[in-house]
Amino acid sequence: MPPKDAHDERLLIAAAQQDPARFTELYEAHFERVYAFVARRLRNRDDAEDVTAEVFRDALANLGKFEWRGAPFAAWLYRIAANAIADRWQRAAREQASPLPADPPDDSAAAAPEETEKRARLFRLVGTLPADQRRVIEMRFAEGKSIAEIARELRRSGGAVKQLQFRAIQALRAAVEKAPRAKAKKPVSRHG
Amino acid sequence: MANHTQSEQLDKIVSALLGPPGAPVSRADAARQADMNLAPVFEVVRDLRDLPRPDFKPRLKSDLERRAKMASAVAKPVPETRVSATPYLSVRDASAAIEFYKKAFGATEVMRFAQPGGRVGHAEIDIGGARIFLADEFPEIDFRSPESLGGSPVRIHLDVPNVDESARRAIAAGAAVVRPVADQFYGDRSGQFRDPFGYTWVLSTRKEDVSAAEMQRRIDDMSRQRGSSAEESAAPPKVSFIREGFHTVTPYLIIPHAAEWIDFVKRAFGAEEHFRAKRPGAEDVIMHAEVKIGDSMLELADANPQFPATPSTLLLRVSDPDAVYARALDAGATVFDPVTDHDYGSRGGTVVDASGNRWHIFAPTPDSRIFGAFGAITPHLYARQPVELIHFIEAAFGGEEIYRAEMPGGGIPHAQVRIGDSIVALAGGHGPYEPMPSTLHLYVPDTDALYARALAAGAASIQPPTDQPYGDRSAGVTDPFGNRWFIATHTRDVAF
Repeated sequence: MPPKDAHDERLLIAAAQQDPARFTELYEAHFERVYAFVARRLRNRDDAEDVTAEVFRDALANLGKFEWRGAPFAAWLYRIAANAIADRWQRAAREQASPLPADPPDDSAAAAPEETEKRARLFRLVGTLPADQRRVIEMRFAEGKSIAEIARELRRSGGAVKQLQFRAIQALRAAVEKAPRAKAKKPVSRHG
Repeated sequence: MANHTQSEQLDKIVSALLGPPGAPVSRADAARQADMNLAPVFEVVRDLRDLPRPDFKPRLKSDLERRAKMASAVAKPVPETRVSATPYLSVRDASAAIEFYKKAFGATEVMRFAQPGGRVGHAEIDIGGARIFLADEFPEIDFRSPESLGGSPVRIHLDVPNVDESARRAIAAGAAVVRPVADQFYGDRSGQFRDPFGYTWVLSTRKEDVSAAEMQRRIDDMSRQRGSSAEESAAPPKVSFIREGFHTVTPYLIIPHAAEWIDFVKRAFGAEEHFRAKRPGAEDVIMHAEVKIGDSMLELADANPQFPATPSTLLLRVSDPDAVYARALDAGATVFDPVTDHDYGSRGGTVVDASGNRWHIFAPTPDSRIFGAFGAITPHLYARQPVELIHFIEAAFGGEEIYRAEMPGGGIPHAQVRIGDSIVALAGGHGPYEPMPSTLHLYVPDTDALYARALAAGAASIQPPTDQPYGDRSAGVTDPFGNRWFIATHTRDVAF
């Protein structure tokens, strides 16, 4: 679950700076958004996993250097991610012996937070689906399997798998639309 | 099924979006293709293309947990203001002390700095993460050991994982029990032990966390109980059956020239005189005296017609046998055997004092398993039939044979029997080692029972159990080999 607010997140960071074992709590809170940010810019699952791992390892190693200046922790992670992605593109360009890759990535870390947040929320919502729907979505989208392959593996008919896929996507759409938008929230307390 | 068409149409969108690369699908295309207004799900399907593989998140998590654990292990936060205290022990023989602490407390040697001349100028050991400094004593710079000063007022408190196990190990290595391991009101289980170099160690394991208020309550309870039991029964306070400062076995020397002998052991071995009772009207005659050498007490009296002289053989454990041997000769002893290395695990030599006692002055080699548990003084008996003597001690006093060396021809050059917390050494007596019948003083829980047991095992009575004015109930027997045994139970403390 993401931290309830900036105060919780700040405490969590301070705890992890004291005790690195607490870092996994930050990881749990931010995995989906970092992955969403990275995956959109790499379009290859192996690369996306490599870079996501690199981002969190780097963050763990350098957590002591993180200073709270009011910006969310996610912004720091996005900056690390943007650097890692830029490195990867430069390396790819060198390996291909071309000055720049044909399709330079959208590398502005600040450009996409809202889109990224939306996708991160969607990824977390997949985890809340009933088990059979969740498995169909994971196999179809994350593992790239066809309806026929999924049907064989789950011992269901193709029609049944499509039904599960349909219900899952409808549920996700409803949940995404219902999910509160952080920016729509207005502080109520005057002491806030 | 009402949804059937819808699910087919949705899958067409999904297939199109997941479809072969290079087949771009626009939102309008997809909606048209589906021939139905499924536009609201289009974004969801598009975004799901980036869904992470389900096993990736937990896999990366365990990788990070492993790294975090390593980071914790290397980067223990050390506050800048932290102060640490390290005991610095002055000992008479630092090399022997290091070996002892290795055996007794599982210490590891961190470093050692030897001075010219062989003395250890500085050494560091580590006991379970605790650092301790030590060095040989340097009287010239007033760095003196407990052996020189007559004890140390500082106790070292060692927190250990299992105090009972640690205590057994320390005792086996030769530490003397000052206070046996017991549960304490403040939540620890602990005991006190004195090492052969004069330091007292508290071995302790925390059993429960007790608040200051709870400690106070327990202390109050304890003093209330003591108070009320004293009022109700007027019973004397419970005392140990072994008198303070004694062990189970104490050699009792009945010798000529007892007063001169006390001067000799003070000069030669640094003995402390604890008690002296002179015969009324004959100031130069000692009826009873007590001296202490290291952790061991010796009792003595001037021989008289009722108790003729029975000088004894004593094993004196020291850290530097050459030096103590030389001091003994300076103080008036004569050579019996010069100092040499013995292949059974010690270096030592033997002298005879002016009263006829034979002293084997020795140091066990560091890895000696035979002498490791010896205190400062161990009585040594010789008998023509040593095996029978061992059997007698077992039958009469509940002794336990803990070591026996046997010669090919059947002779016994050395054996050890444990009685209570003490060891009695013995050997076959022949040639220069004629049997020397000795007198030993035993502290036991029940004098009457042991007296009866000794008689049943073949001893002859000298004196049946009797309450003594000095607070002991005692009895005396002679064993079939001519040794005298005084059996006593300490029942009350009497001020002299």
